[in-house]
Formats: sequence, C-alpha cells, structure tokens
Amino acid sequence: MNSPQVHTDARALVVRLRDLGLSFGSNHVLRGFDLDVHRGENVMVLGRSGSGKSVLLKCIVRLLDPSAGQVEVLGQDVLTLDDEALDRLRVRVGFLFQSSALYDSMTVQENLEFPLRRHWMATSPGEADARVEEVLRAVGLAHTRHMYPAELSGGMKRRIGLARTLILKPEVVLYDEPTSGLDPITSLEMVELILDLQRNYGTSSIIISHDLNVAKRAADRIAVLYEGRNHVEGTYEELRASTDPLVRKFFVMM
Amino acid sequence: MAGSSSAIVRILEEAGSIAHFTGRFFRQAMHRRFAWDELLRQCLVNGYRSLALVGITAFIMGLVLTVQTRPTLARFGAETMIPGMVAISMVREIVPVITALICAGKIGSSMGAELASMRVTEQIDAMEVSGTNPFRYLVVTRVWSTTLMLPILVVLADVIAIGASWVGVNMRATMSWPLFLHNVLDSLAYSDLVPAFIKTYFFGLVVGVVGCYAGWHAARGTAGVGGAAHKAVVVGSLLVFIIDLIAVQITDLLGFN
Repeated sequence: MNSPQVHTDARALVVRLRDLGLSFGSNHVLRGFDLDVHRGENVMVLGRSGSGKSVLLKCIVRLLDPSAGQVEVLGQDVLTLDDEALDRLRVRVGFLFQSSALYDSMTVQENLEFPLRRHWMATSPGEADARVEEVLRAVGLAHTRHMYPAELSGGMKRRIGLARTLILKPEVVLYDEPTSGLDPITSLEMVELILDLQRNYGTSSIIISHDLNVAKRAADRIAVLYEGRNHVEGTYEELRASTDPLVRKFFVMM
Repeated sequence: MAGSSSAIVRILEEAGSIAHFTGRFFRQAMHRRFAWDELLRQCLVNGYRSLALVGITAFIMGLVLTVQTRPTLARFGAETMIPGMVAISMVREIVPVITALICAGKIGSSMGAELASMRVTEQIDAMEVSGTNPFRYLVVTRVWSTTLMLPILVVLADVIAIGASWVGVNMRATMSWPLFLHNVLDSLAYSDLVPAFIKTYFFGLVVGVVGCYAGWHAARGTAGVGGAAHKAVVVGSLLVFIIDLIAVQITDLLGFN
C-alpha cells in the first residue's frame, strides 16, 4: 500500500491531479487531492456518499472549475486550455454519467451518431452506421438501435451511455458510479464490460464508486477519498489487509 | 421598504443576467462551426408548427375587429373605411404583438422546459463533455430560429387577418375582394409596414433569448422545469410589451406615425 505522494509507475501518465481544491461557499469538498493514472490502468476512487467523488470527476473535464490545484489530462493542463482546445481534449476523454444522460428526444442510433456528426468523425452515413453497429455490439445491445431511452432499462441506459462514449474512441474513460442502482447481476455485467473495454480498446479509467465488488474486480488501484484528500491508495488486496481505521470501516461495513 | 428595495435589486440582477446571456448569444451567433442542421430543425419546430395556431388566432382577430368596428363607423356613414382601419390596426400593432405573445407562450415555454429538463437530467453536461459546445448547439440555433421565423409568421398572420376582415365585411354587406384589397393597400404606407416588420425581429430575438435563458439557468429538480417554462412566458411577454413601447417611441421620434 502506498501513500499517494510516493506512488510510482513507469507507464505514461494520462491523468495527473495535484493539490486539487474545490469549495461551495464554506463547504470545502476537495482539499488538496492528488492522483496519478497511467496508460491502460483502471483506478477507482472509493469514498462515502457526499464525499466529493462526482465533483472530482467533473473537475477533470472542467464541468466544474477547481478553486486550487492542477489538472493534467493526456499531457495538457486542463485549467489553462481555451474553449476550442478544451473541446478537442474532451473528445479524447469519455464520461459515463451516473444518470446515463442520454438525449431523450433521440433514438439510440441518433444518440450514438450525435458526437460523430458534431466532430465530423464519419465521412459517410455508411461509416457512421458501421461505428454505431460496432459500439452497440461492444456493449451487447445491437437490437436497441431504433429504441428511445424511455424504452430502455436502467442497466441498458448505462450501457448505451458507455457506447456513446466509446464511439469517439476515447483514451481515458471516467465512470461516475457505473453500478449504482443496478441489480447484482447487471452490476457484474457492467464490471465485465469495463474490463472488456480496458482490454479491447486499451482505455485508461477512473471509476468513482462505493461498490467494493467493482473495486475487487475492475480496479488495478484504489484511492480512498476522505475529507477532500487522497487518504490512502493501493491495490484491493493491500487495502483489504490495511489496519487504517477508515479503510477497515469500508471493508467491514460494505 | 427593505423588501421592495431587495426586489428591485433582484429584478436588476435578472435584467443584467439576461443582457449578459444575450451578449453571449451574439458572440457565438456566427461561429464557423454552426449547427445548420439543428437550425433547420428548430425553424421547422418553431415556425412551421406554430403556423396553425398563429393563423387561427389571426383569422379570429381580423374577423372580430372588423365586426366590432362596423357599428361605430356605420354611425358616421364611414363603413368604407373599415378595410383601411382594420388593416392599419392589424399590421402596425395587433398582429405583431399578439403573434409575439403567442410565440412567447408556445415556443418560449417549450424552449424553457426542454432546456431545463436537459439541464436537470445532465444532458447538457453530457453534450459538453463530448466536446460539443451546448450553448452553440442548443441556444444559438433556437434564438436564431425564433428571430428568423417570427417575422415570417407575422407576415402570414397579417395576410390571414386581412382576409378574415374581408369575410367580416361581407357578413353584413357586400364588397368585392379587389375593392377591399384596393382600400387596404391605399391606406397602408411603407411607414406602417417597415417599422412594424423590423420590430418583429426584436420580438423573435427576445422570445428565443428569454426561453433559452430560463431553461439554461433553471434550478435543479422537476420544480425547476416548471419554473423555467413559467419564467419564459412571463418575462418574455413582458419584454415584448416593453420592446413595443420602445419601438413606438422610436417610430414617433422618426416621424413615422
């Protein structure tokens, strides 16, 4: 088990957070959070509800502006990018929302084609069609192409949300509570999907969750977010063997 | 006293915020990565699909004004002035304002609710993290569509209202269409048409801006969606009247009255 400051890895860094701070009025959600994510690695941020996990994820893609610290993604300083450069970087970073956030006035196919059309990433309707088919197969939902989000179950929505992220071939994927609200079997399928994507697409991931099943199966490394800081990090086995009272509480209670 | 001053501060803050939002629209309005497909879709939704409501309303207004005007003019034996009088009232004031109010109700509220719902369900955030500027895609296209479509709706409504006036005239008397039209065109001057047409662009702009503003800045939760629709209608309608007041003062100063 490592303290966050001394963690080292020879692989290239894809996400580097340093001394990240964010406050809402007098509520200091993040107070100097540090994290490194390397290429091809799945890192999970574990924390209690309301500990600032989703806020952390939103700071990485600048949906929220941190009040302090540094955010580097794929070698670029996110906080100093202009709007155009930020949009270009966001294409390389996928984000799976807890609510899936599918465009409810569009069919599944239109949802998936939307980012392609906006970024001119398909030269012909045939190519767009092939890309849609590919990502729908990757998430195992090829039959939902003409359905609307309202016709899908929670688990299916989450998978389509992931397919919409994948269609832009991101190098980093940020998962916000990918299994919350799902039954154990669907949760397990979601975890398998995350691992498939890591293997087949070579993505690096940050997974926000409080689900220890996700931690055990999908995470190469786990960082525990507590009081706005990276309290401790290590592999699942290292944390399970930890004597740290907070970490013990997680593993005993959950 | 303190309550009323804080209410004034809130109104001024809101006005400043809407002005800032409008400025943001103009800064993004001609961006090279313009979503032409979405603009066309919005023109269809906001223009073409409002035609029936605007048309029916214009027909009723033209007919009612004609029927109600007749007794007064008949008392002075001036029934032949009905076409001209109704046309001037309709073209200069009634049709533009009523059409703008209908659009504030139908289009403004729908924009407010749609964008607020997208905000609440994180669809706007999803668009943003996929590298698509949601302001440019959602707001700019919608505001352009109302700005371009409302004048067209007003022109069509003018024609329908004048046609309805001819129907109204012929309910109690007989006047041929060519004679009726001659009377109408004889009484309408460019100074009636041009200022009335120009102000409809501002009506369209304000309906689009306020509808989008209300949705864009909606409070979280389902109550926020209802609140956005409500705000879009109330503030949009109020601003239509304020713009109309300003337009009348300007045309008066320029000697168009």
